Amino acid sequence: MPAMHELSIASTILDRAKAASEGNGGARVTKIGLRIGEISGVETDALTFGIEALSKDTPLQGVLLEIEFCKRKQRCTACAAEFEPEGFQAICPTCHGDQSECIAGKELDVMYFELEDPACA
Amino acid sequence: MRVDVEEKVLSENDKLALGLRERYRKHKVFCVNLISSPGSGKTALLERTLEALPKTAKVALLTGDLQTENDARRLAKAGFPVKQITTGSTCHLDASMIIKALDDWDLDAIDILFVENVGNLVCPTSYDLGEHAKIVLLSVTEGEDKPLKYPAIFAISELCIINKIDLLPYVPFDLAQAIVNVRQVHPGMAVVETSCTKVQGLDAWMAWIERRRKQAMEA
Repeated sequence: MPAMHELSIASTILDRAKAASEGNGGARVTKIGLRIGEISGVETDALTFGIEALSKDTPLQGVLLEIEFCKRKQRCTACAAEFEPEGFQAICPTCHGDQSECIAGKELDVMYFELEDPACA
Repeated sequence: MRVDVEEKVLSENDKLALGLRERYRKHKVFCVNLISSPGSGKTALLERTLEALPKTAKVALLTGDLQTENDARRLAKAGFPVKQITTGSTCHLDASMIIKALDDWDLDAIDILFVENVGNLVCPTSYDLGEHAKIVLLSVTEGEDKPLKYPAIFAISELCIINKIDLLPYVPFDLAQAIVNVRQVHPGMAVVETSCTKVQGLDAWMAWIERRRKQAMEA
């Protein structure tokens, strides 16, 4: 098992891509769309490395990644204002309240796969 | 050709964690997941916790490491059921490992399940183990800026334990600043200060467990 958790996540993503290919007549997957939140615990560089390393010498070698990065967003408990904390300073800029809940930033989603049109057989 | 999927990468793990959460609810098990860097004192905290509990307490422990049964051996001395999960080279516990470890345990015989994660402040952040609360430990031999350096785990944990406070006179750790840093990342976060060698702060920790357990059982 890989020691870096991005590697196990990369492996899961590649499994999904393989399944998408198989579900579409073996069409080659050329691009994977991902959404990664600021506090998902995943480093995009490490994930990209993991995808490259694990796809080497497989039909997925060279697959492109399109990563949509999601900033952490908080909603103030007192005044319901939504804000992006500056450098993890989670103080509401509207009412200066220090209680808020996280409403975005934990994403770790596969959004789409782009496949080559199936070869005419 | 574009195929839209929009699903969580860890949906497999999340499904398993949901199953665990359901089992805990059904069997009235309160589960916490302890996370820290290697050497912050997770095992020591659990040792002191077990010593403070009555022998009749229905407590069980799962402890994760890459290798060795050392932690399980340390924890087994208190007489409560303990199982070591050795992950090989994996840097975190995931829900499937917990399910496997619980396989031959009767959950009705457990009121509190402590899960000691692999020493790591990064990777365990992403893996839901079906626990009621994640707890993050920080020790005073580390930097007080650790919450700012590793914000994600502090943002999603419910309680921060600052351990080894008996060493404060000997290290440059600024305790007040550490708490400010914790609460910058996680506004209002509960903080408990402990020493596991001098046995300080354990009462506050035990009180937190009991309060949080009651809350979980009423939910």
